[in-house]
Amino acid sequence: MSAILEVSGLRKAYAGVHALDGVSFAVEAGSVTGLIGPNGSGKSTAIDCISGFQKLDGGTVALAGHDVTGRPAHLIARAGLMRTFQTVRVYERLSLLDNLAIANQQFDPATWIDEFLRTKRYREAIEASEQRARELVELIGLKRYYEAEAGILSYGQKKLVALASALMPSPKIVVLDEPVAGVNPSRIREIEVALQQLNQAGETFLIVEHNAEFITNLCHHVIVLDQGCKLAEGSAAEIHTDPRVLEAYLGMTPEMAAAEMRGAA
Amino acid sequence: MTITGTYLLQLTLNGITLGLLYALIAVGLSLIFGVMEIINFAHGEFLMLGAFAMAFALPVVGLLYWPALAVSIVAIALFGLVVYELLLSRLKPDEFERSILVTLGLSIIVMHLVQYFFTANPRLVDTQFGFEGVEIGAIRITWTRVIAAAVAAAAFAGLYVVLRHTQFGRAMRAIAQNREAALMIGIRPRTVARNAVVLAAGLCGLAGAAIAPIQLVTPYMGQFLIFKAFALVIIGGLGNIPGAVAAAVGLGLIESWIGGFFTVAWQEAAVFIIMIGVLFVRPDGLFKRGSMRVG
Amino acid sequence: MSRMKLVLALLAALAFAALPLLTSSNYILGVGLSALIFTVAAAALNLIYGFTGLLSFAQLGFWGIGGYASALTVMTFGGNFWWGVVWAALINAVVAIVVGYPTLRTNRHAFVIVTLTFALLVTLIARDWVELTRGPMGIANLPAPSAFGHRFASTGDFYWIAWAFSVVMLAFLYALCSSRIGRTLVAIKQNEPLVRAQGISPMPYKLAAFAISAAITGAAGGVFVFHLGIVDPLILDFYYMQTFLIIVIIGGAGSFWGVVVSGVALSALPEVLRFSADFRMVIYGVILVLAMFVMPSGVAGWLRERRLTRTREALQ
Repeated sequence: MSAILEVSGLRKAYAGVHALDGVSFAVEAGSVTGLIGPNGSGKSTAIDCISGFQKLDGGTVALAGHDVTGRPAHLIARAGLMRTFQTVRVYERLSLLDNLAIANQQFDPATWIDEFLRTKRYREAIEASEQRARELVELIGLKRYYEAEAGILSYGQKKLVALASALMPSPKIVVLDEPVAGVNPSRIREIEVALQQLNQAGETFLIVEHNAEFITNLCHHVIVLDQGCKLAEGSAAEIHTDPRVLEAYLGMTPEMAAAEMRGAA
Repeated sequence: MTITGTYLLQLTLNGITLGLLYALIAVGLSLIFGVMEIINFAHGEFLMLGAFAMAFALPVVGLLYWPALAVSIVAIALFGLVVYELLLSRLKPDEFERSILVTLGLSIIVMHLVQYFFTANPRLVDTQFGFEGVEIGAIRITWTRVIAAAVAAAAFAGLYVVLRHTQFGRAMRAIAQNREAALMIGIRPRTVARNAVVLAAGLCGLAGAAIAPIQLVTPYMGQFLIFKAFALVIIGGLGNIPGAVAAAVGLGLIESWIGGFFTVAWQEAAVFIIMIGVLFVRPDGLFKRGSMRVG
Repeated sequence: MSRMKLVLALLAALAFAALPLLTSSNYILGVGLSALIFTVAAAALNLIYGFTGLLSFAQLGFWGIGGYASALTVMTFGGNFWWGVVWAALINAVVAIVVGYPTLRTNRHAFVIVTLTFALLVTLIARDWVELTRGPMGIANLPAPSAFGHRFASTGDFYWIAWAFSVVMLAFLYALCSSRIGRTLVAIKQNEPLVRAQGISPMPYKLAAFAISAAITGAAGGVFVFHLGIVDPLILDFYYMQTFLIIVIIGGAGSFWGVVVSGVALSALPEVLRFSADFRMVIYGVILVLAMFVMPSGVAGWLRERRLTRTREALQ
């Protein structure tokens, strides 16, 4: 298996603070990889830099073998990296259908001339897009809201829409920025299941999250950041017992953490 | 025309006076923007109302300057209070376009009401000082100009003291610099905003009242000035009070010098072109919660 | 467009075309054709402000440049009215791109201020560049347009020119606003970072919207001055900008039909308010302020909210 996303030596500083200080990792194609770390560890900065929303001070980003370092956000998206946002972003005043259609717009072959002349290419593109949209809407269980304005949905439902939008163009990798933050616990399981299904169908995910259970259930591989550096990397189980990770998160030794968990059980 | 030293000096003094008055307007705009993040399109009308207030107050008090000035300032400050309570307080900080349209509407209403009731005829305002002045060597400056400059300077000194050394002033600077933090320590934004508007209105009223005896008073006198004031605020840096003052005095001097030798043509455009240049060079500096520096 | 709406729109267009057959009052025809032209300018403002979310005061500048461009084409450069209107559109498109490119790369706030200043600068130039614009006196005695040997000398004749112009411009704008490009503009207005994350670069869209709205507004100005018979710095009076703004705001920024209906309806307003010019302006100002608090999305927005509430209830 090859790496879909490979970042090396990421460096970013604001006002003297090193948000990222030489972070390197790779995401294997077809995997669900988690990116975790305590607050201030640089996770969000890493995502923003990788997806082109912030400029890197140093380091490289390669997508499917191609160097995309320094490219603006929209070009990175076109290259096959789709992302969601920590505070959910949808087009509140457009319908679900429109939300998903726009997400696919840049990726279909029809131009505005095609649209104006209503060519066959345009009609086929629209039909293909609509079909994919309906499939995804069915997957996330929001079929009855298809024509409704996205603004009337709940926060968790909007997160699902954002996820579906990111998947519309069948990207090489989907980067999710805290997909279940602020979401109702009942909904979280739904999102987990949806992601598992999508991964089984071949989609690669990089997930930034705080919710430990979510990460453990989903991720094959986990990367831990702390204060701008990569602290540890491995399977979910390995990370759980890694003393450095526990220290960073909880300020505890493995024995203390085990005692904690026994107490909680 | 012989360019004598005295002529230049005269132009310079006029320029400084003009500049200080521009600065009063610009500073008020800057204050309101710093605290509320809105641009008050009706700001020029505050000035115009100050001039009209002076024009009407003077005959009532027998052309005595100081009482009329005081009345004008208070009247416009009160007007600012009313405007705040009725309109501006209902605007939220992130509604930039809406605030522009609301204050634009207010500006239209005020200007045309004044024009409707008082006609567009330019008025000459007379004070107890008439056209008497002081003579420094070969230069003659009317008392009204001298007092205007002095009053403006005094207003700035007072503003500096207020912003630096009073609770009220510190609260304003806090909100302008970091709204969330200021809220967390208990500064009430409504109170600060109201105070800022009243203060800015008072400054404008002062400027208008001081200008009234120097220039002709018309209902549209505020209209053009407001754009120059924007330009000054932006060139000086939003929220940067000394910057706005420096830019204003600079503009006053430039306008006075050029006006003294040439007909007014392209120099009006210059200030706007400079402003656009500044905006392109420092686009993010424009609306970042930044300074409200006083010193 | 749904069949019903298409039929309605066609009927309305025909009804408007019939006006000169129903009355010979130059006054009414003048009001009518002003209504049509102002509606076009308002629809162009709606494109850049209502759809793309950029409050542009530059429209006034484009309107004025368009007026001078068409007048100069005929009076100084020996062309005809039709070319004048074409030049009015083209020149403004170029100016918009030149001014828009650096301005749109800054932020939305700076955009508003720069466009305002632009309008102001155009006013200064119109007043002061006397060699070209003849200064405050303006360029008078603009001749009636002619085509195929027919001179459109009367107000009734000119009305048909204004009508044809409006129909073409509004049809174009409708096609644009209801296309994927229009939808992308709306998306940019609502959530620009999301647009970028979906692979779309907002800049070309904003620039195109700005240039198109400039061209259309300029063409409208170019037509209007021939109705007035003169172009002078008064064409840049802020009154026009206020009128366009009020039409858009009352109709509903972002609603194509809302603005069109509002434009036609509001042009009757000056007639209802047959007071002094000042008082009419006061009413405009009051409307503007009230609308901002009571109906910020205009009539169309208010109707939309009601529909939404019903949908929301139905789905819950």
